[in-house]
Amino acid sequence: MKLQIGKFMSMLRGLLIVLKYAFKRPVTLRYPEKKRDLPERSKGRHHLTKWADGLERCVGCELCAIVCPSQAIYVKPAENTPDNQVSKGERYAADYQVNMLRCIFCGYCEEACPTGAVVLGNDYELAGYDRQSLIYTKGMLTEEKPGESGFDPNREI
Amino acid sequence: MLKQEIENRDLEKDSDLMELSLGPQHPSTHGVLRIKLILKGEIVQQAEPVIGYLHTGVEKECETRTYHQVVTLVDRLDYLSGPAEEQAYIATVEKLMEVEVPERAQTIRLILLELARISSHLLWLGTSALELNMSSIYMYCFAEREKILDIFELISGARMFPGYWRIGGVALDLPVGFEEAVRDFLKKFPRMWKDMDNLLTNNYVWCERLKGVGVITEEDCRQYMLTGPTLRACGDSYDVRKVYPYLNYQDYQFDVPTATLGDSYARYEVRMEEFKQSASIIEQALGKLKPGPFITDNRKVAFPPRKELRRSMEAVIHQFKLVSEGLHPAVGDVYTCVESARGELGYFLVSDGSNKPYRLHVRAPSFAHVQILSKLLVGQTISDMVVTIASLDPILGDVDR
Amino acid sequence: MWIDIIEVLAKGLTLVLVLSGCAAYMTLCERVLMARMQLRLGPNRTGPFGLFQPMADGIKLIFKERFQPAGADTLTYWLAPAIAAFIAFFAFGLIPFGPSFEFMGREINLYIADVNSGILVILAFTSLAVYDVVLAGWSSNNRYSILGSIRGTAQMISYEIPLGLSILSVVLAAGTLNLPGIVEAQAERWFIWTHPIAFIIFVICSFAETNRAPFDLPEAEHELVAGYHTEYGGLKFGMFFMAEYINILLVSAIAITFFLGGWRGPGDLPVVWFAAKLAVFVFFFMWVRATLPRVRYDQLMTFGWKILTPIAIANLIVTAYFVLV
Repeated sequence: MKLQIGKFMSMLRGLLIVLKYAFKRPVTLRYPEKKRDLPERSKGRHHLTKWADGLERCVGCELCAIVCPSQAIYVKPAENTPDNQVSKGERYAADYQVNMLRCIFCGYCEEACPTGAVVLGNDYELAGYDRQSLIYTKGMLTEEKPGESGFDPNREI
Repeated sequence: MLKQEIENRDLEKDSDLMELSLGPQHPSTHGVLRIKLILKGEIVQQAEPVIGYLHTGVEKECETRTYHQVVTLVDRLDYLSGPAEEQAYIATVEKLMEVEVPERAQTIRLILLELARISSHLLWLGTSALELNMSSIYMYCFAEREKILDIFELISGARMFPGYWRIGGVALDLPVGFEEAVRDFLKKFPRMWKDMDNLLTNNYVWCERLKGVGVITEEDCRQYMLTGPTLRACGDSYDVRKVYPYLNYQDYQFDVPTATLGDSYARYEVRMEEFKQSASIIEQALGKLKPGPFITDNRKVAFPPRKELRRSMEAVIHQFKLVSEGLHPAVGDVYTCVESARGELGYFLVSDGSNKPYRLHVRAPSFAHVQILSKLLVGQTISDMVVTIASLDPILGDVDR
Repeated sequence: MWIDIIEVLAKGLTLVLVLSGCAAYMTLCERVLMARMQLRLGPNRTGPFGLFQPMADGIKLIFKERFQPAGADTLTYWLAPAIAAFIAFFAFGLIPFGPSFEFMGREINLYIADVNSGILVILAFTSLAVYDVVLAGWSSNNRYSILGSIRGTAQMISYEIPLGLSILSVVLAAGTLNLPGIVEAQAERWFIWTHPIAFIIFVICSFAETNRAPFDLPEAEHELVAGYHTEYGGLKFGMFFMAEYINILLVSAIAITFFLGGWRGPGDLPVVWFAAKLAVFVFFFMWVRATLPRVRYDQLMTFGWKILTPIAIANLIVTAYFVLV
C-alpha cells in the first residue's frame, strides 16, 4: 500500500518535472530568421575553388567522379592551351556537374581531390522546384573571386 | 494450436475474428513495419510481421562499390547508430587485410560508438514514451540526442551518418573543442537521465503498462537469435564487448547490466542502466586519448596525408591508385561483430581478391527481433502490442537492408 | 413574451460564439503550452505570437475536400460530428456564469435555462455524447474506428457512474438539483473543502469523459491511428475537435459550479472569477496531457469499476450520514 502511494506521488512529481522544463529555454529555433552555427567541417553544397591568382584549381582528373559512391559528379575534361590557360595543370574541367539530388554529402570528393579544388561548404539550404535546377553546373559551383566561398585561396591543398 | 484453427475458419463468416493490417503507415510501428493481425475483440490471435517496405538492396549494392565507398552505404542500414555499422564493416576489411589501427584512432572510434549507443537509446526511450502518449519525454530525449548529433557534426561534418571510419583509422583528426563538447555533454547528461528516471521508473501507469508485457525467456532468445538488451533482460550477460572485445574494450571498466524477468520493463531497466555504463566508458576513453596518428601510415591502405600531395609525386600516385583502383584484400571470408545499441551486429564479407566485396552479408539484430513478434504478440491487446514492439526497438532500415 | 425569446436567443448566440472562440483559442493555448513544456517554440508563424493560428486552422478545415470512405453509412457518417458538437454546446445552457443583474429594467440571468433538475439534464446530455463516438466509429467502415468506438463506449459509460455518484454527494449537501441553487449553497464554503474525495473522483472521471490523456483510449493515436475519427477530415473533423475542447470547458465548468463555488470569489467580479477558474482547469488538462502516459483498456476498466466506483459509493454513504445527522 505504501509502495502504491509512493508510485502515485511520483506521478505528481512527474507533473512538476514537466513544469520545470517549461521554464527552460526552448531548443528549437525560429528557423528562417535564426540559423544554427555550423561547425567548420559541416558538409553542405560543393564549391569549385580557385587559386589566389584566379586560376582554377580543378585539373579535370575525374578522381571525384570516380570516388563518388552515388555517382553524382560528372566531369568533362579539356586540354589547356597557352591562350586559354584555365588551370595550373595540363587539363581543366570544361564541364563540372554535381547532381544535388544524388549527392549524399559524404565528402569523399573533397578527400579524393588532389588539388583541393572541390570542397564542401556550409550551405545546406538546397531546394528547387524541378530536377533540372538541382543539377549544379560548373558556373554555379565555381566561385567568382578566389576565396569567395570561405576557403583560403592560398592554402596548399 | 490457434494458427491451425484460424486457417480452417472462414474469416468472412466468423464474425468473432477481425483481420487488421497494422502498418506500414501506422504511427507506432517504428518506420514501415507491417503486421497482419487477426483479432478477437482487441486480443491478438495471430500476428505476422511483413517486412520489406524499406528494402533498399544495400547488401547487393555494396558488391558494386569499392571497399572504400561501402562505408557510406552501410551507415544507412541502422540509421540510428551509424558508427556501429561503420565499425563492424571496417573491422571486417581490416581483419581481412591485417591492418593495424593506431591507438588514437581506436579510442576515437570507441568514443563515437558509445555516443552512438547513447543517442540510439535516447531515441528508443523517446519513442517508447511517445507510444504511451508521453510526448514531453519524446521531446526531451530528442533535445538531448541533438547534442550528440552536434558532436558528430563537429567531428565529421554529418549528423546522422558520419562516414568517419576509414580502413586503418578515421578520416580526420579530432577537431578543436571536441573534448570540451563531450565533457560538457557528460556533465549535463546525468541530470537529464535523473529527470527521465523520476518521470518513468516509479510512475504508476508506466510500470503497470510495461511490467509483464512481452515476456521473452532465455530459451526464446536462443531460438530466435535475440541479442543485446533483449537478451540481457532475460538474465544472460552476453555482450560482444566483453566476450569478443574489439577496440580494446577489455581495458575499460564497465558492467553489463542484466535483469531477470525478460519483460518490457526489464528491457527498459537494462537500457536505462546502459546509458550510465556508456557514459562511464566515454569518460574513461577521454582520459586515454593521447596524441598520435589517427590513421595507419600504410600507403597501400590509407590515403596519404593531404599536405604530402603537393610535394610528393609518390603520394599523388598512391592517391590516384587508391581512389581509382581501391584495394585488393586477399581471397577469403571473414566475420566480425560489434555490440550495437540493438544487439550483436555482424558483418560477413567474402572477398574474391578484387577491389569490390564479392558478397557482404549483415547479421542485423533488428531482423531477429522482428521475427519473434509472431510468437510474442499472440494473446496481447493492441495496446500491449505497441509497447512490446517499442521495447524490442527494431529499426526497419536494419531489418530490410 | 417576445422579449423573453429575444433574450434567450441573444444569450444562446453569445454563448455559441464565445464557446467557439474559446475552443479555437484553446487549441492554440494547448499547442503553445505543450511546446513550452517540451522545449519547443510552438506556433509562431501566423500573426504576432501565432495568434491567428486558430483562424488559419479553421479556414484550412473548412476548405478541405469533402469525402466519405467507401462503404460508409452516409447518414450516420454525417450525423455523428453534428451530434458531438450539438451536445457539447447544449449542456452549457444550464451553467450559471454569474449572478443576475438589471439591464434596461429587466432582470437578466447569466444562464440560459433554469431547470429545476439541472444536474440530471447535464448528466443526461453528457451521456448522450457516447452516441457520436459509437456512430462515428461504426459508420466510417474502418477497423481502427470500430475498435476506438467500442473502447469509447465502454469507457464513457463506466466512468459516468462514479462521476454521477461524486456529484450526488454534492447534491445531498446542497439539497437541490438546481445549478444556481448549488452555487447559492456554496456562498459560505466551497464544496471542495467539504467533499475533497468527491472532487478528486470527479476530476479523474472528467478526464475519461472527455477522452483526454491519460484516458484518451478511443482516439489513442499510437494504437488506433485516430480511433473513432480516423476517417473524418475537413470540417467534420473540425466539429469533433471543437466538441472535444468544448467538452473540456464543460466538465471544467461543471466542476467549478459544483465544487469551486461557481462564479463566487473575492470582490464583485463574478464572470471574471468564473473565467479564471476555468482557465486553471484547462491548464491542468493540458499539463496532465503533457505528462502522464496512457493507461491500458483493462486497467482503465479495473480502475473505474474496482477502485473509483466503490470509493464514490463509500463517499456518498459517509456524506449521507453527515447530512442526516
